[in-house]
Amino acid sequence: MRLLLFDAILCLLLLTLALASILSRQLAHAVILYIAFGLMMALAWARLAAPDLALAEAAIGAGLTGALCFSALAHQQPQLKPDVLNWPKRLWPAVFVLLMLGGVLAALLQLPPSASQLIAVTQAGIGNSGVSHPVTAVLLNFRSWDTLLELVVLLLALLGARQVAPEVKPATSWPLSLGWSRLLAPMVILLAGYLLWAGASQPGGAFQAGALLAAGAVVLRLNQQLSWLSWSNFWIRLLIVSGVLVFVLMALLAILLTPGNTDVVWLRWPPHLAAGIILLVELFATLAIALTLTLLVAGEPASTGAEHGCGEGA
Amino acid sequence: MMVVLLVLPLLGTLFMLLWPKIAPLLALLTASVCSLAALQLLFLVSEQGNQQVLLAGWPSGLAISLEANSLSSLLILLTALLQLLVGLYAFATHRRDKLGAGFWPLSCMLQLGLTALWLSRDLFNLYVCLELLGIVAVALVSLSGDKAIKPALNYLLLSLFGSLCYLLGVAILYGAYGVLDITVLAARWQADLPSSIALLLMTLGLMLKAALWPLHGWLPAAHAAAPAPVSALLSALVVKGPLFILCLLWLQLAGATQVAAVAPWFAGCGLAALLLGGVSALRTPFAKNMVAYSTVAQLGYAMLALGLLLRFNQPLFAAALWLFVLAHALAKAACFLAIGEITATLGGKRINTLKGASQTMPLAMFAFAVAGGSLIGLPPSGGFLAKWALLQGLWLQGGQLFWLLAIVLATLLSAAYVFRAVVLAFDRADPVAPDFAPRILPQWLALLPALAVWAMALYSEPLLQLLKQEGL
Repeated sequence: MRLLLFDAILCLLLLTLALASILSRQLAHAVILYIAFGLMMALAWARLAAPDLALAEAAIGAGLTGALCFSALAHQQPQLKPDVLNWPKRLWPAVFVLLMLGGVLAALLQLPPSASQLIAVTQAGIGNSGVSHPVTAVLLNFRSWDTLLELVVLLLALLGARQVAPEVKPATSWPLSLGWSRLLAPMVILLAGYLLWAGASQPGGAFQAGALLAAGAVVLRLNQQLSWLSWSNFWIRLLIVSGVLVFVLMALLAILLTPGNTDVVWLRWPPHLAAGIILLVELFATLAIALTLTLLVAGEPASTGAEHGCGEGA
Repeated sequence: MMVVLLVLPLLGTLFMLLWPKIAPLLALLTASVCSLAALQLLFLVSEQGNQQVLLAGWPSGLAISLEANSLSSLLILLTALLQLLVGLYAFATHRRDKLGAGFWPLSCMLQLGLTALWLSRDLFNLYVCLELLGIVAVALVSLSGDKAIKPALNYLLLSLFGSLCYLLGVAILYGAYGVLDITVLAARWQADLPSSIALLLMTLGLMLKAALWPLHGWLPAAHAAAPAPVSALLSALVVKGPLFILCLLWLQLAGATQVAAVAPWFAGCGLAALLLGGVSALRTPFAKNMVAYSTVAQLGYAMLALGLLLRFNQPLFAAALWLFVLAHALAKAACFLAIGEITATLGGKRINTLKGASQTMPLAMFAFAVAGGSLIGLPPSGGFLAKWALLQGLWLQGGQLFWLLAIVLATLLSAAYVFRAVVLAFDRADPVAPDFAPRILPQWLALLPALAVWAMALYSEPLLQLLKQEGL
């Protein structure tokens, strides 16, 4: 009963925050409300028994997206005001969204309550997958091709954002926030390492650990630290690319290691090596995700920082 | 073979990112090796039949399944060849046109996304491919710099909305059936409310991404703002990806009642695209926008063929559909490269810039006219083959006078916008002087696909046979 009340309040809060964020007149208010919405969304995922999603939503949806929105706001001209739409202009999208929502709800209410048969198949196959947590098994073994392509999508997002990235102005940071960010950094690294390791048997894994690591790096970068962290640095580029590269190399290696097999199966991990391969792939994916997200959110360091970085020009 | 076609562009991109200085070389190398591999895949498929792979060695249902049939391998070959051609054009002109270094890895990723899409037979994997394709296309459009940011942002937002609609549909289907593999799903398909709503949502998203009328509004701005090689790739290949998925959904999954309900709408949308897109192409004052609107109109043919195929279940319409896709890809690549070359040399974006181009840049203008001939459907081009298959199918059904007349009207419209440019080019009294001496090599590169689309007529019999039995 108490949980029902909690759920009802959570749902109401989600809807209210979403509406308030959309209807807010000031962009800064909208962003703050959106961050709060992300946190509530993470709670909702946790209540829906999807802790993996809750972790990812908290780190990416609430944390990094919020930082990204604020740094975008900082680049805006101060006099820029969002266009105020008149009611007829707002009405059409609202009608469209309500129609779509009605359709989706009607379909969802008709869905069979029984769980998918795939769950049984997954349980049967998990013994040979190298990990014991089903989400990790799906992401890095059963449907690893999807994950590989998702890593490529993330890399692409960075490439696309670099095309249109604005000049970063050098700024000074506040001593207290600088001190705090330095204090937080070792904790973030420790926590990310734990999340990565835990991913084999319980909620956690590369995406969550990478997002957490990125959050720590972004805080440091917003305080003008880590000036060597830029795309023009070859080693950083190598690490960013390594997430996909190690994945592909492992897949090629797995083909070589499969003995006496004439038909080549792409991305099949040999069962006795699967745990090691998955850990290695996840380790590099974590580093790549962390660096990609950091560069995506914080952008390149200001030009004064890049000069005494150890990077070689691209 | 499929693995090679997927791994090569992936590794190529990664190495290009690591060593940007040799990126153009790597891009050309990747595209040429991929073209050879694609040719070999096509031979393999035509000898041994469809190739199916379950990735990661898990049983069907759990694993992602890939399938190479003759249509997929033909599309992969087309993708690789156009990549190679556009890569060569970009290599020949990148200094003059100040094409950003970002073009090379992005175009290679485009090849990866398209190849993965043509092969995939898994609803969620198709979503990932769509996402990859959408983001790569937006990044490519934004290569043009500040003037392209607004169209690119519009494209990004609409493309994300389209992906979201598709994903919602996939989620509903997964909730209802518990599988994502298309062949397994087709066996269990029931034409009930959840599946209808899922199909509608996915269709909405895909039509938005494929710029099918009436959801085409973003296309002309985005394709016109992009650099010439990018517009060629986008118009020739990228919009065909969502169209391919749309055909997979309606031809393999949908039940008979659902198909019967939606077929007239598809045909109607196709016809509207043909007519309204043609009128817009006729009215626009800008050269690249004219070619972009012509893409909207030509996609109408594919949509019309899909609608008629769903309604009459006549294999000729399947052949017409894919012939349109192939012929349009080649012709549109030639058009965009030729127009890009002419506007860059003569210095202007308006269609009036073409004045006297038959004298100043005869090769490029010839490429445009030849490709335009295929867009109109003049015999013996690829466009004519497609239109002939469509007309023959309609004739065999009997009593379809309305559609026959509509197609004739659409043909006249496309003739009008192509000739509007060609007539201007032959106005030799007061030609627009070129800013610098026209270059020969890029013009020849623009002419190549235009000649290829006319050469399709030489292989009309095997092509028709192949695509008729395929129909997905």
